Amino acid sequence: MALIPSVSTAKRLYVETMMNVIGRALQAISQVDVAIKKEVNVLPDDFSFQMKVMPNGPSFTVKKKPNGELEFLGSNPEQTPDLSIAFKHLTHAFMVLSFQESTSIAFAHDRMLVDGDISYALRVTRILNRLESFILPKLLAERAVKEYPSSIKLPEKLLHGARIYFQMASNLVTVN
Amino acid sequence: MSTDFYEFFCPVKVIAGNAALEHIPFELASLGASKPLIVTDKGVRGAGLVDYVLTACDESELKVVDIFDDVPPDSSKEVVTQIAKLYRKKKCDSIIAIGGGSVIDTSKGVNILVSEGGDDIGAYAGAGNLKRALKPFFVVPTTAGTGSEVTAVAVISDTEKGVKLPFASPFLLPNAAVIDPRMTLTLPAHITAMTAMDAMTHAVEAFTCLAKNPISDAYALAAVRKISENLLNVMDNPKDKAGRLELAQASTMAGIAFSNSMCGMVHSLGHSAGATCHLPHGLCMNLFLPYVLEYNLDNIRPQLEELLIALGGADIYASTPADKRAEKSIELIKHMRDELYKRCKLPRTLKETGKVEKIQLSKIADMTLDDGSIMFNPREVKYEDARAVLDAAWA
Repeated sequence: MALIPSVSTAKRLYVETMMNVIGRALQAISQVDVAIKKEVNVLPDDFSFQMKVMPNGPSFTVKKKPNGELEFLGSNPEQTPDLSIAFKHLTHAFMVLSFQESTSIAFAHDRMLVDGDISYALRVTRILNRLESFILPKLLAERAVKEYPSSIKLPEKLLHGARIYFQMASNLVTVN
Repeated sequence: MSTDFYEFFCPVKVIAGNAALEHIPFELASLGASKPLIVTDKGVRGAGLVDYVLTACDESELKVVDIFDDVPPDSSKEVVTQIAKLYRKKKCDSIIAIGGGSVIDTSKGVNILVSEGGDDIGAYAGAGNLKRALKPFFVVPTTAGTGSEVTAVAVISDTEKGVKLPFASPFLLPNAAVIDPRMTLTLPAHITAMTAMDAMTHAVEAFTCLAKNPISDAYALAAVRKISENLLNVMDNPKDKAGRLELAQASTMAGIAFSNSMCGMVHSLGHSAGATCHLPHGLCMNLFLPYVLEYNLDNIRPQLEELLIALGGADIYASTPADKRAEKSIELIKHMRDELYKRCKLPRTLKETGKVEKIQLSKIADMTLDDGSIMFNPREVKYEDARAVLDAAWA
């Protein structure tokens, strides 16, 4: 009998994949969205943010470049990140990344530990919320964020979402 | 709002009521401590409150080793180091903090240094950096508001760098909180009012924000009831010992509630306005509470309806139509503020404080979005929302 149930392997794979998608999408949205650019601008240059699963689970890191954009660094940060948001367990990450639990409820449920400046953690959460509002179908996005922004109308959502996905694809092509 | 999961933690022994201070010698001895250092401030000592503790210890043949009575209104790194040196020099083995928020936070910092070693409290800043139990530590609150005697956090200023260092660890919690009505009997009217509204806000936000849970709800509701039933009586009869004890207990209960379910936008606005305009924390709570409840109303209607019975009693609850109960709760909080204003001129609006310029509101709104408590507010607060609440609270 297998010691690691296949459901755990599937969960881990899903979280790994989603972390990869979100990390790359953060880089893309910082290149195309004015509101996100304003949020990112406040962060210090070379500021790095990591999201991970404790103790040694899936993770991704992004860094703010001097030109104001975020850069996806994959799962191997160059240095200790300035801000880390760590899920206490793989299942908690799975619940958030499969949109069964919003980020704010996950914080309220104490599923995550923040290491770093709390004001930056709030800023990063706002960035993640805006990203999810654009790239997810509205029904899913409403479960992922505390309040779906009423200012985002369908044409803008479709257009902006497409631009983010296109930018992600461009970045992938450029890297490869 | 979601209560399908929660955590609740409060290992503090609460020793409350008449002659509670006289339990300190026994409780210290039961922890193997016999050489306590008292940490307090000049105001508390000048009011003779430390003498009650000294007498209680003396009558039980417990010798207090020394008293440090120079804690400033804002806890600072330097003072923490200074007290830790005194503790070591006098070979103390325990700490009794007698005072309000600053004295209690300073003492938490001292306990870190004397237990873990070193002279730089900054080395322990952040969450979860303490890994073992600290020295025996008792807290005797002299205000009924902060709830610091039951919270696992402390804030200590680094005056050199101009920043406030946060500390969070379950090991910061004292072994016991000693609630004795003698300690708040001489509290001036405006401090009584401000601190009670601080406790009221802790309870109301604990009951209405995202991390609420059934156990913290029980503490929060009981705290709201005690404050509603006793605050105005105590304002009219400051020597009412039973009423003072009720307020002190309410403060501790509200502290237990909010330390387990966190606060929301009232605290975010209060922290920002306090830092920008140097307003006392309790006053800020009094200023913003009803306006934030109005802003959150659609998301917290059932909770506000339930709060009405604690705020107004059974008769008011029964005579208010079900669909008006949430609004009635806010109305009662506003009424309480009006009554406090009549009795001690506690400001109800930013303008009434005389210390805020309208031009500062945009900075306060900006800072509010970056305050940790905002995460637990039931609504997603944007700049325009924070600004609208500030405008409502202006005049």
